[in-house]
Amino acid sequence: MTELAAGSPAHAGRDRSTAIFWTVSILTTILVIGPIAPIILQAFLDQPLYKPEAALTAGNFVRLFTEAGMGRIVLNTLFFAVVTMVVAQLFGSVMAVIVGRTNLPGRKWIGEILIWPLFVSNLVMAFGWFTMYGPSGYITLAVKAGTGLSPWNLYSLTGMSIVAGLSQAPLAYLMCIGAVTKADAQLEDAARSAGASPMKALLSITVPMMRPAMVYSAVLNFVIGIEMLAIPLVFGGPSGIHTVTTFLYDQGINAAVQSDYGIVGAGAVMLLVIVGLLVWLQGRLMKDSGRFVTVRGKASRPSLVDLGKWRWVAFAAVAAYVLFTIVAVFAGIFMRASVSFLTPLVPFWKLLTLANFELIFSQPGYIRAILNSVVISFLGGIIGTACVVLIALVAKRSEFRFRRALEYVALFPRSLPGIIAGLGFFYAVIWVPGLDMIRGTIWILIAAFVVRYIPIGFGAIAPALSQIGEELDRASRISGGDWWTTVTRIVLPLLKPALFSSFALLFIHFFKEYVTAVFLYQPGSEIIGSTMLQLYAQGDNGPVSALATIQVIITALFVFMARRLLGAKIYG
Amino acid sequence: MADLILDDLSISYGSYKAVSNVSLTIPKGEFLTLLGPSGCGKSTTLFAISGLNHATSGAIRMGERVLFDGRSGTVVPPEQRNIGLVFQSYALWPHMSVAQNLAYPLKLRKIGRAEQDERIREALELVEMGRFAERYPFELSGGQQQRVALARALVYRPGLLLLDEPLSNLDAKLRERARVWLRELQERLGVTTVYVTHDQAEALAVSDRIAVMDTGRIRQLGTPKEIYETPADAFVADFIGSSNFLTGTVVGGSDGAASVRLDDRTVIRAKVGAGGTGENVVVAVRPERLQIVGGAGDNVVQATVQGGAYLGSVYQYELVGAGSTFRVQTSREIADSQVFVYVPPEASTLFSAQSRPQA
Repeated sequence: MTELAAGSPAHAGRDRSTAIFWTVSILTTILVIGPIAPIILQAFLDQPLYKPEAALTAGNFVRLFTEAGMGRIVLNTLFFAVVTMVVAQLFGSVMAVIVGRTNLPGRKWIGEILIWPLFVSNLVMAFGWFTMYGPSGYITLAVKAGTGLSPWNLYSLTGMSIVAGLSQAPLAYLMCIGAVTKADAQLEDAARSAGASPMKALLSITVPMMRPAMVYSAVLNFVIGIEMLAIPLVFGGPSGIHTVTTFLYDQGINAAVQSDYGIVGAGAVMLLVIVGLLVWLQGRLMKDSGRFVTVRGKASRPSLVDLGKWRWVAFAAVAAYVLFTIVAVFAGIFMRASVSFLTPLVPFWKLLTLANFELIFSQPGYIRAILNSVVISFLGGIIGTACVVLIALVAKRSEFRFRRALEYVALFPRSLPGIIAGLGFFYAVIWVPGLDMIRGTIWILIAAFVVRYIPIGFGAIAPALSQIGEELDRASRISGGDWWTTVTRIVLPLLKPALFSSFALLFIHFFKEYVTAVFLYQPGSEIIGSTMLQLYAQGDNGPVSALATIQVIITALFVFMARRLLGAKIYG
Repeated sequence: MADLILDDLSISYGSYKAVSNVSLTIPKGEFLTLLGPSGCGKSTTLFAISGLNHATSGAIRMGERVLFDGRSGTVVPPEQRNIGLVFQSYALWPHMSVAQNLAYPLKLRKIGRAEQDERIREALELVEMGRFAERYPFELSGGQQQRVALARALVYRPGLLLLDEPLSNLDAKLRERARVWLRELQERLGVTTVYVTHDQAEALAVSDRIAVMDTGRIRQLGTPKEIYETPADAFVADFIGSSNFLTGTVVGGSDGAASVRLDDRTVIRAKVGAGGTGENVVVAVRPERLQIVGGAGDNVVQATVQGGAYLGSVYQYELVGAGSTFRVQTSREIADSQVFVYVPPEASTLFSAQSRPQA
């Protein structure tokens, strides 16, 4: 090799890469714009949008804002979202600091239990709360029997807001625990050497650095509060308390004769605008978060603060919180599923029965719901991960002129409430000729779920992608590989763990999803969540609990296997 | 293999001009170094040659082959340029073994299995890494990774080798050994090489020619000896060998020499530098060329010792005299606080005061 003959350069097509960039961008844009365009159109039409004689009008908005009770509904929604956020942030952040950074007994186990609620839908949580703490709930009745007093009323605006807040606290906990445990240990060490006690260093250095995590999760919880369906439906429905989402749900689905398309469209646009503004606000608030970025990749983790004699006091408080807001809620579902009638007045083993499960497994529709949920989650997880990784590669690792725009479009579904995504796809399939084909099939559900959760998958893949140094791509390009060869041969193999994590996260989100499906499913394409809502509306609490139990068991099995077999990172 | 030609190359990012009107011809087989402080545009130029950066205007050619032409809009993508590039971080693909790293560019060139193996073996022998073919990058030391990166850049016999500070992640001792070895290898292969570094000692040791760059421009292009002995301006004089600068005004002179009145009114003689002069000038002189003498005389200035440091092979003192602060290196320790310093006229170069780099 002393004589270097001029080697010939590798042949590669530049056109191939360009074609991929455009295809990915156009498909993403269509899928994201797809459900939004018909909603906006419908909001300004005086007739259902599939009717040819429909004409433009602003009347829907006038009706929306003048209709009796609409002001009430908006106020309810705002109050509900604010309380949800405050309660969730308060409990979530305090738990994060105590569990993450003190020598609390059993902190490992408590940390695990604290994230359980993230794996199930708030429909399941709502039902668990209802079973235990509702007007004739197990614990409610037990307290009543013991004290003779009616201890609480969750069928009120404040009551359901607190339930929602406690259900969302795990999300705040998850965001904050990352911030407090991954903080650079040297920052606290510096405070210690400047004369601060361990507790003082924790409270004055690390806790303020939780601010970006707090801001981020606070806005997230606020948005979730605004778009939440299950809890307002279960707790507000019986006493006639409506939020924007339950209003849309009632108008869209339950309206006695024919649903009022115009009002639904206008309401959806209003919700879209509110959520969009909030997500924009979140971006603004996070802008200067560089102030709080700590050195990453440090091997040293911050040490635990010794609580001393307060250790067991803290344990009692934390254990009570976990027991009453998480363990009891899950236990309520399991117990209700396995008895004929749940009451503290009769020992529950005397009422044990398999009838609820037998009912589920005797009806083809219910079995189909379970199978559909598994198939949708599995296929959707794979399709979704493939879409997300393509988008992320073009957005983050190409020279495509519109890569920033692509990322922006792909992340837009963050501001797309599930109920709107579902409604939008519903309108799209009746409006766009040819799409009728997939109407009422599981494919429309997969499409809607994938679009809605692109940002979740992106959140799992983008950070891993930025960990892979760009010199590795550049080295491949200079060695003779074009863009597509480079990303498939160099980047994708290195990204494998993140792909598994993205798949697992999408599976879990699809499996627990119900809001997006309520306008889209038909007999044959029902899923666990939609069937639960149906059964709940009929008052069949036993079978609802049995379905919820089955959902929890499948989720738990999946999480266990995903962690073991795929090494997927799911929530930490 | 052919000459590499940069023709009036400019690279802008928005309104910021990273590289301005650089023209260079690098004959085949030459080892050329782009040398300059960080942010001078040397790596930007290197990556524009590789095609990984986009130049804004001008042209890059390898012999007859146009790699980039701003006027006609020709941009050959990096994968079609057939250039070898060694990255500062080595950029070895962590999921591939050493042999797989080397095989990758060969597979892309559709080279047969047997020849692949042969070329990989040769390239690894060349960098003395033959025994490590089956190892993965994380199992190698920094020096070994650097050798593998070089082998990977050479295995497909590129027409040009680009090196982006390849030694900067090695420790000082290894760095010195590696640069000797690198130069020997390059001479043996005769591959045209462009090397980027901010380390002047490294540049002087390995290069056929050096292009000293600052704020996107080439300040001086020449052999290591030319650059060191006859810097073109005060910037080069300061960057290579960190000269002292004595400020003063020209009071007369002829034949490329001038008399300068320093700020304390002492008059000394010095060569006139290439950059031309004005009334206000600086006299550049390297610390190791100044001599401590017994008393006043021609070209001698008086100075006060401010402080000193023992550097091992020499002593270095900081002095104040002739209206300036300057350093002197001597083999002997200075005991007095007042000294006389001889400024050799042949080692002193005059530059206009404007060209003096801002500290």
